[in-house]
Amino acid sequence: MSGDKASTKEKSISTAYVELHRFGQNGEYDRGLKVANRILQLSPQEEKAFHCKIVCLIHLSKFNEALQMIHKFQGLSKNLFFEKAYCQYRLNQNKEALATVEQVEELDYRLKELKAQILYRLESFNDALIMYQDIIKNTHDDYADERETNLTAVVTQLQESNVKTNVV
Amino acid sequence: MPPAMEAVPAKPLFYDLALNFVNFPTLAETTDEALGKQKASGISG
Repeated sequence: MSGDKASTKEKSISTAYVELHRFGQNGEYDRGLKVANRILQLSPQEEKAFHCKIVCLIHLSKFNEALQMIHKFQGLSKNLFFEKAYCQYRLNQNKEALATVEQVEELDYRLKELKAQILYRLESFNDALIMYQDIIKNTHDDYADERETNLTAVVTQLQESNVKTNVV
Repeated sequence: MPPAMEAVPAKPLFYDLALNFVNFPTLAETTDEALGKQKASGISG
């Protein structure tokens, strides 16, 4: 009966999501990728499974493949601006990464952090400084020390470029 | 003769913090449902 078939499929998907959740928590991204693919085979329009797949690919350093997937499945990746921009950033496509971030109207904490890093790579140290001041003021997480280090790098580069322009 | 030594600024240390934010979406609605089913069948079966 087709009804039974449908519920069996639903059940396998639910079970797979339980596994996927566990692999995500344990950082087992190679196994997570397999489960995400299994879900997508059963139900190709599963946005969450697709999102997990992209996250797995990123943690497995397969940035090219992740970006290709995002381009290929635009319907499934319509909300994955952060992941897309991160892949572009890691592939050194910094201008493209910035353009992706700027497609989002209201940046969340992840996009702000990434935008600051992209601006640093693009040597827009002034804009990076403004970003970090905003992030540091509004963020309370475990990465405060590392963020201060990044801020110091921005300030150092800013002073460096000021010295250069004054000399020339 | 090698050219005279010249001091160059060291490239400052810079961390990739954004990678820490590359995480799975919340799977609660999908997994809770599955867990509920598993529990239910555990009680009845």
